[in-house]
Amino acid sequence: MTGNNNYAKVGEYKPIDMLACAAAKEVNDGDVVFAGTGLPMLAIALAQLEQAPNAVCIYEAGSVDGRPIDLPTSVGDSRCAYQASIAAGLAETFYGQLHCGYVDLAFLGGAEIDMYGNVNTTVVGDYAAPQKRFTGSGGNPDINSLAKRTVFIMLQEKRRFKENVDYITSPGWRIHRWPSGEWVHKKEVYGKYFFGGPTAVITNMAVFRFDENGLMYLDTVHPGHTVEEVRDNVGFDLNVSKVGGETSPPTYGQLDLLYKKVDPEGIFLP
Amino acid sequence: MATFKKISLQEAAGLINDGDFLSFSGFTIWRRPMALIYEMVRQQKKNLHLFEVNGGTHTEVLAGAGAVKVWESCWVGHELYGKLGEGIARGQVEGSIIVEDYSHAQMVARLLAGAYGLPFFPTAVSMGTDILNPKYDMLSKAGLRDGSNPKIPVKKYDVAKDPFYGNGELLMMPAANPDWALIYASQVGDEGTVRVFSQTYVDAEVVKAADKVIVIAEEIVPDSYLRQEPEKNLAAGYAIDYVVECPWGAHPTGSQFFYDVDADFIKNFYQVSKSKEAFDEWADEWIFGVSGHEEYLDKLGINRLQNLRANSVLGYSTTVKRGTR
Repeated sequence: MTGNNNYAKVGEYKPIDMLACAAAKEVNDGDVVFAGTGLPMLAIALAQLEQAPNAVCIYEAGSVDGRPIDLPTSVGDSRCAYQASIAAGLAETFYGQLHCGYVDLAFLGGAEIDMYGNVNTTVVGDYAAPQKRFTGSGGNPDINSLAKRTVFIMLQEKRRFKENVDYITSPGWRIHRWPSGEWVHKKEVYGKYFFGGPTAVITNMAVFRFDENGLMYLDTVHPGHTVEEVRDNVGFDLNVSKVGGETSPPTYGQLDLLYKKVDPEGIFLP
Repeated sequence: MATFKKISLQEAAGLINDGDFLSFSGFTIWRRPMALIYEMVRQQKKNLHLFEVNGGTHTEVLAGAGAVKVWESCWVGHELYGKLGEGIARGQVEGSIIVEDYSHAQMVARLLAGAYGLPFFPTAVSMGTDILNPKYDMLSKAGLRDGSNPKIPVKKYDVAKDPFYGNGELLMMPAANPDWALIYASQVGDEGTVRVFSQTYVDAEVVKAADKVIVIAEEIVPDSYLRQEPEKNLAAGYAIDYVVECPWGAHPTGSQFFYDVDADFIKNFYQVSKSKEAFDEWADEWIFGVSGHEEYLDKLGINRLQNLRANSVLGYSTTVKRGTR
């Protein structure tokens, strides 16, 4: 730590710095964290340097509790496995770690999200005749199914925060029970395998959380943004009755860590 | 005793028939059997059915070349170096490629069942998603779940109650047993023992699930060396049918402890993959414009390759420029 815990002012940091710092705050010391490529890597590395030195990271390609000394560029990267406790494969990470219930926290992304935290990363339009294809599910729905807490990191745009997403790639708090299609709480579908679900959505404007009914509400707004601005960038009727003020901006110490220790090569933080 | 047959890349690609059901080693942009993929494109393979936990640069080369008829998977892209799988996406939107989406762990379940000789594998992952929505079962819509193709299960998945502990409903994912596993491996012993360095991805499951296995190996080493530390090995020699010795055979994807991902090569490929015309021009230069793997390496040049070479202690390149600083 550089010891400088003063908050940086708007303009002294980039939106991506805010995202990384807000995401890092979600990590508790000792958490087993399942992370994807990009911002999640910055968040977990920053958290490990700050409040969560005993948090461990699993990358789905096979590394368990790696201790990279150079930032990985993807989850399959050899850098992920440096000094890992286990370097195995997907059967280990998805079944030996996730399915059996070890995972406390997951960081995931998405192209579209609805008020229950259902996320689309597959297509725009009708799946059977799509207008555009995204990357696809990857491990997103698996991790989101069975992690105790999931944090989504997304861009704040009206077309991304939708009443109904075009395709439910990743399960939120209310989902369909297939093959019948009945619309029920996640608990009813997962039964004994219900471990939790989405707990936060962090965007370039705000932090959202979910109430006891699994409905998204606005929690904090980042410095430089307003509740109205956030509301204008959400496509459904957003609950703003619980707004708890401003999100803490990055500290100078955190910015120093991000640019000098976590990503000194400028891979995700150009 | 070697049980595998040592063959050339041309012979290996020649074994694959149009319409075959294929799976691959690796993960996104790591340890893909690229040299064999290029040779398959040179030999103009068509109507391939790809089954893979995720796709990467190899998938996009095949899709761009018009070699793919069915893609069963769940993700395709080039990680940081190209965010979408443009060739697969174009095929899906135009209707020239049948895309059947699952999730990573569901695909792993299908391979585990195939690898262990089981008809299905139970799992609780990704329930409640549109992956399970019956109206999005694309192989069924295409009339391909009628049982006539032994590689395509008659259902995309099924649901069953836990009969033992009362844990409720779980998914049953059907086994996958590809015609071919196309594997890039770090080392193969002269008796066929296979070793990969670092994360193993689903390489072992793909080897075991497939009817026949072709390995393109970075190097062939004495089996006695690999047998000094058997716990590090991935597969026994008797599981391997054909081996091609092929240094740099995973380029532009990375191979831990040998070379890093060639980010510039993949970034450029991603740009050309956005249109058929640009892809064709690229393929004329990098696939059809060279006689084979040796000429491809000559074209890349020693300095480019040297820059990607992994540090032998860390397992990755410490000289390649990865970011903006």
